[in-house]
Amino acid sequence: MKDKNLKTDSRRQFIKKISTGGILAASGLALGSLSSCKEKSAEKTAVLTADGKLVQVPNSEIEEMERLNPGAPPLEARKGIPGKKFVMVVDLSRCRNARKCVASCDKHHDLTPERPYIKVLEMKDNKSSSPYWMPKKCFHCDNPPCVKVCPVGATFKRSDGIVLIDNTRCIGCRFCMAACPYSARVFNWGAPPEGKLDIPYSPETSLPSRKGTVAKCDFCPNMLREDKLPHCVTACPNGVIYFGNEIEDTVTNGEETVRFSTLLKDKAGYRYMEDLGTKPRVYYLPPVNRLFPFEEGKEKPEES
Amino acid sequence: MKANYNIISSLKLGLAIFFLFFSTAVVLAQDSDAMEDANIVLSFVDDASSHKIIAKATDKNGEPIADLDLYFYVKRTFSNLPFGDVFNTTDEDGTVAVDFPKDLPGDHEGNVTIFVKIKDSDLYNDQTIETVKNWGVPTALDSTTQKRTLWAAGANAPIPLVLIISSLIVSIWFIIFYIVHILVRISKIRSIKT
Amino acid sequence: MKKEDHKVQKFDTRKENDLFKTLILTSKRYKLWVAFLLLVILIGLFAYYRQLKYGLVVTAMRDYTSWGVYISNFVFFVAISLVGSLFSSILKLNKNEWAKPLTRISEIIAVSAIICAAAIIIVDMGRPDRFFNVIRYMRIQSPIIWDVIIISTYLVVSFLLLYLSVLPDLALCRDRLKDIPKWKKRLYKITAINWSNDPEQVRLLHKITKILSIAVLPVAFAIHTVTSWLFATTWRPGWDSTNLGPYFVSGAFMAGAAIIIIAMYFIRQNLKLKAYIREDHFDKMGKLLVLLSLVYLYFNINEYLGPAFKMVGVEGEHITELFAGKYAPMYWLVQIGGLILPIALLLFKSMRKPLPISIISTLVILGAWFKRFLIVIPSLQHPYLPIQDVPESYRHYVPTWEEWMITLASFAWFLLIITILIKLIPALPVQKHDHVSKSNPILNLIKNES
Repeated sequence: MKDKNLKTDSRRQFIKKISTGGILAASGLALGSLSSCKEKSAEKTAVLTADGKLVQVPNSEIEEMERLNPGAPPLEARKGIPGKKFVMVVDLSRCRNARKCVASCDKHHDLTPERPYIKVLEMKDNKSSSPYWMPKKCFHCDNPPCVKVCPVGATFKRSDGIVLIDNTRCIGCRFCMAACPYSARVFNWGAPPEGKLDIPYSPETSLPSRKGTVAKCDFCPNMLREDKLPHCVTACPNGVIYFGNEIEDTVTNGEETVRFSTLLKDKAGYRYMEDLGTKPRVYYLPPVNRLFPFEEGKEKPEES
Repeated sequence: MKANYNIISSLKLGLAIFFLFFSTAVVLAQDSDAMEDANIVLSFVDDASSHKIIAKATDKNGEPIADLDLYFYVKRTFSNLPFGDVFNTTDEDGTVAVDFPKDLPGDHEGNVTIFVKIKDSDLYNDQTIETVKNWGVPTALDSTTQKRTLWAAGANAPIPLVLIISSLIVSIWFIIFYIVHILVRISKIRSIKT
Repeated sequence: MKKEDHKVQKFDTRKENDLFKTLILTSKRYKLWVAFLLLVILIGLFAYYRQLKYGLVVTAMRDYTSWGVYISNFVFFVAISLVGSLFSSILKLNKNEWAKPLTRISEIIAVSAIICAAAIIIVDMGRPDRFFNVIRYMRIQSPIIWDVIIISTYLVVSFLLLYLSVLPDLALCRDRLKDIPKWKKRLYKITAINWSNDPEQVRLLHKITKILSIAVLPVAFAIHTVTSWLFATTWRPGWDSTNLGPYFVSGAFMAGAAIIIIAMYFIRQNLKLKAYIREDHFDKMGKLLVLLSLVYLYFNINEYLGPAFKMVGVEGEHITELFAGKYAPMYWLVQIGGLILPIALLLFKSMRKPLPISIISTLVILGAWFKRFLIVIPSLQHPYLPIQDVPESYRHYVPTWEEWMITLASFAWFLLIITILIKLIPALPVQKHDHVSKSNPILNLIKNES
């Protein structure tokens, strides 16, 4: 009897083990198959370090390396990307001062909060009209006053419409800052906050920055060379910023792609202070049919 | 107790089998063998008044697929520009005709890359068909940076400006050098009387 | 002290005696003065060292007020340097004989001022180590390049103007002065380039002096107009004005006249030249200053009336700030105390005596310096787009001690160059024919002039 029981017991044990193991295996398989659909931070990549070690790096860390993606060196950077004329459209009806564009730009260009390339301004055109948020960066004008006045050609306009700064040539006279009517430029008054960055200099990333030179929004040409959108465009959660190639008559905000001419026609696009004659390459769509009330932007704490 | 034990173990077994089937189904569902491939054939109407793409969808048996949503895009720098209507659905014959805009810019020869896609269809797999047509407006390469303007590089300064400044500099410095020359002459004059 | 007990060289004429005395004697006061100036310069150099080490962050300039006292000081020095052309050119060609003794001082001041202007602009650069980029990569379209060209040209022209007028006196120093150190003797010998009052030399010198007197005038006008274009080519309120060129030039002449008066007073007192710089010189200078101030007042009215009438946008905010806001005390002190009051006071003859007019001229110079501050800084605080989300310090501009010390050091450097030059060359023309005083016959060697 005991023998029989023992045998039954061991069979039961065996079945128990199998079933538990099976459940675990099956659930693990199910979870594993489900999670293979998204390939985010759980995934790791094997990387060979400079000193010969093979390490595993989570993919989220690998994105960090992308910002050190070098642009062209100073001489090469003076030529534009052929066949392109970049243009930006900012939809003021969608902006709610989330400042994710500012945060992303600050991160990728190693900027401090008081020295941002993008400023989101609280605008009120006159006493009776309602206030709105206006993100403003360099307009990369086609008739740029800053380029005209530079004595050494440290700031230059390229064939693809982008105005860049070569801070190996800048003498720090700040005439371009006085000449820009849109206050788009910032200056490195002291040593740059990022410390010593051991990367080759490119005017297209504006990194590493140098003491005593000027800097501004550069439309991220290092990303554009790889057909990727500038950081502010992808960072905006509300699809405020459209960016594209004017020659192709197309702009996109990362999700929607529309024809540039149609967008301006349908939504009455304009340029800020058109009468100054600087011919900016950034267009604005007026704040009609707003997506968010203005006050929502005031409650949001400033992101750094 | 024996009965309880039996129920519990059979429950566990049932659960295990259920999980096994479930995961298999999940895994198998991702396998593309279950959905069909649709066969898309593109034809083009290319005359003076319009450019049209006609897409005909047939399934693997050669039967036309009706009510299939097709998406038409033009390849652009950062993304693809949709054209046509919001929904381009095939009719009972499995065809749908889409107008290509006449004024869309292409590259400098006028070529555009067109994508026809099946996306998120329940019955058919995602598919992209690429074709290049010379339907775009040719775009010229930009030469504004080569022109002589005030904002160009130093070598491309406007000619009047260069001429005026050069002539002013030359005239004043000519006077300066002339004066220095006369001073040299003065120094060479040695008077005999003291 | 003891040196004065030595046998001091005596000269043939009283004029030579008076004018050469300073070249061979160094008083204690002079040494103290030079020591004081050197001390100020040294502290300024230390402040500049700090600026080189930490960057321009040691100043109060930030992203909105990106130009500060360095630039306003630069404009001030360029303005002062125009005085050389005023005397050596305008008054001379106009045959204003009374101004002849003052040409030397004005030329010395002009040379010194233009050297200081060039120095202060280098101080303002964020990367002075890249100064030669300006020559290597020059862009002829840039107003700064025009300014660099015209300042270097004017430096050479001013120096030549001084040299041509001082050449006969250098020869006199070479011939007459004994008991001077050997290096000084050699200096006079070399710089006098064999001048021996030969008629041919005299004729040639007169020719080129006349050419230069005419040529310096357009250069002088150009230098301050081009400097005004550094501002007029931008869109800042207060700068975006077609009036800026004449406004700057007329202000320059006024400030130059005032500084000549102050210089006259000091030289007269310290070098004991009362017989040569007489009260009627002060009288005439006073009248000249009134005239120049009236011209400047006219351009001031033009500069402010148009914008004040329209009150357009940020231009209106800027005008409000000047007339009734943050800068109102400074603005009205400068306009009334530095411009209107001097005009009113100098209309009275009693005010045109040496001491009163020197005090009034000091007011004019202070007003001129702060006027340039008011031209440069408030405009930068009213850009078209609102200033938001920046530290409070960005909205104001209060210069730091480094900026003040460097500014004071630039003044000290300016005065030092003048002081040294007065030690090397006579402060008034000796050789030129001059109607000093009928009781003192001069050795008039230049016979074909009268």
